[in-house]
Amino acid sequence: MSGRILVVEDDERIRSSMRLALESEGYDVDDVASGEDALEIFADSPFDVALIDIMLPGMDGFECCRALRRQSAVPIIIVTARADTHDVVAGLEAGADDYVTKPFVAKELAARIRALLRRARPTEEEPGALSFGTLQLLPEQGVLRQADGTEVHCTRTEFRLLCELAASPNKVLSREQLLDRVWGYDYFGDGRLVDVHIRRLRTKVEADPALPQHILTVRGMGYKLVP
Amino acid sequence: MGIGARITAIFVLGALLLSFSMGGLSYFTTRHFLLAERESAAQNQAFANALVVQSSLQSGNTHPASLLAELDIGSDSNSILIHKSKAYPSSLAISESSIPHQLRDEVFNGIVAIQTFVSGHQGQPQIVVGVPIRSVHAAYFEVFSLSDLGHTLRVLGITLVGTGVVTTLVGAVLGRFASRRLLRPLSVVSRAAVAIAGGQLDTRLAADAADPDLEGLTTSFNAMVDQIQSRIEREARFNSDVSHELRSPLTTLAASLEVLETDRDDLPPRAQRALQLLGDDLRRFQRMVGDLLEMSRADAGSMDVFLEEVNVGELVQRSVEAGLQTLGEGAARPTIVIAPDAQSLHVGVAKRRFERVMANLLENAANYGGGATLITVAGADGSGTDGNGDGGRDGDGDYRSVEIAVEDAGPGISPVERTKVFERFYRGSASGRRGTGTGTGLGLALVAEHVRLMHGRAWVESSSAGGARFVVSLPVFEEDEESPW
Repeated sequence: MSGRILVVEDDERIRSSMRLALESEGYDVDDVASGEDALEIFADSPFDVALIDIMLPGMDGFECCRALRRQSAVPIIIVTARADTHDVVAGLEAGADDYVTKPFVAKELAARIRALLRRARPTEEEPGALSFGTLQLLPEQGVLRQADGTEVHCTRTEFRLLCELAASPNKVLSREQLLDRVWGYDYFGDGRLVDVHIRRLRTKVEADPALPQHILTVRGMGYKLVP
Repeated sequence: MGIGARITAIFVLGALLLSFSMGGLSYFTTRHFLLAERESAAQNQAFANALVVQSSLQSGNTHPASLLAELDIGSDSNSILIHKSKAYPSSLAISESSIPHQLRDEVFNGIVAIQTFVSGHQGQPQIVVGVPIRSVHAAYFEVFSLSDLGHTLRVLGITLVGTGVVTTLVGAVLGRFASRRLLRPLSVVSRAAVAIAGGQLDTRLAADAADPDLEGLTTSFNAMVDQIQSRIEREARFNSDVSHELRSPLTTLAASLEVLETDRDDLPPRAQRALQLLGDDLRRFQRMVGDLLEMSRADAGSMDVFLEEVNVGELVQRSVEAGLQTLGEGAARPTIVIAPDAQSLHVGVAKRRFERVMANLLENAANYGGGATLITVAGADGSGTDGNGDGGRDGDGDYRSVEIAVEDAGPGISPVERTKVFERFYRGSASGRRGTGTGTGLGLALVAEHVRLMHGRAWVESSSAGGARFVVSLPVFEEDEESPW
């Protein structure tokens, strides 16, 4: 699989080694040392995945993430030093799709990138057009729109999450199932990924995100979509 | 003795000393004054009477016995006249023996004598005045009873003792109050210290402007806490810096190694072997650094753990599967037995942490116990403090915790070593039996640490077959437990 990857990392040696490792996995890699440079190069040419270190001099990773998210739905992976900090949740809330912790294994990183680049699984039955509330989901066209035709912008991951839930309306999907189908994680994937993305999705599709009517939490089981 | 009790005791002692010395002083002053007054009155009366006796006896027309009846003698005194060696008492209450010999001798020698007995003859306080009447060869004695004075003094004494007792009690109450008042700042300091020990490092004593005496304490206490706080923060910063500094080169090494491993087949055999060694030890090094950082972070108390509600049976099966995979092909496959009524139980865990716990327990069993033989999952009552692992249950079958046990067929762990094995870098009697040694010496310490962070407990006991039985007890997920979202 190929794709263009932007690596934002201030440590020159890590940057070079990541570039080497990702290139040997078959990707095209551009690397920059700061968030500012990342925004500049991103404005010139599109990328398929952005890999952003949280600890950056100047504009930090969160800020870079938010800035990128404002102009694009590009999949973003943040690189954190630790998995058990608020950094992860903060990064996801800033718009990241996934995270890896240092020191990471390049193969694992490549797998994460592959999962993000993948379209919704062709093997799963693609959900047909589905309406819920005032919204219309058109999976084939990759579009979520209001009744009046205005498009609701969501990231690729958010859209895939919504499609997975929409594929079996009223049926509860566990965090593990969603992690597997959307992110390609095994049983030990981080449930926070699902939780933060669900929360972000609710701000886009629910009239009142605090009192969701369509994307419901089922205690101890997971989430379900109620049209 | 506590400082409060000491302050009270000092107050009591002070009040006691003060009241009794003042009381004693007033008592003796009053007594001296009253006695002196009575003595001079007695002397005057005795002289006057002696004059009357002298003139009557000189005139010679009165019998000494009837003479005494005519004298002006108060109800509190009696007299006795000794005339020509014959004694004439004024009443039956008095006789010659009532007069002390010494006094009588002095009077017979012509000296006017006066003697006071506070507790004199017949137990009565009295004044005896003796007047020689030489012209008629007689001696006149008068004995004054001081019982009224004794009574007055007794009342005074009792009053003073009573006052002393009351003063002492008041002193005790005052002392208690003062000690409370004095110790109040200390209890404020103590509360602050408890709060700080509990992790609220921003706790400070409020500066009490009204009390300059406490300013020193407040200032130095706050300065101390400032020091501690900055030291702890420095340490946490240091840990995070070390973490970052170690991770960066490790990330570079790992990524570069993988590039080399991708092209492994192009390398000459010697280089391939070197690459193999490099890869194995780099991964081991990564694990060690990870474990050490995990430990130092747990020490700094800076771990926020995200607990997910999961089915315990599935969790254990998946974790054992993953753990066996890391151990490699040769690892013995333990039997997993999940009690039927534990199959629907949910626990709140961080899945990755739990996976590490199981992996470490399996690795430990493989290194020291010939591999894990049996893994059991069962509900238990309480938080698993009974330690016998069979687990009771309360009334309606609701378990409060789940016990996950890993048994091996090894020699077991002696009771003295059962808590030590969870200590860091503990290499006990089993150290001689170590294999090629992939462990960091932190495995079981991390098990205890991870389990503690998930609000559980880990211990080791003896299995029915005599091997070691490591038990991890986790609380059953409660509905009202804090949910992330």
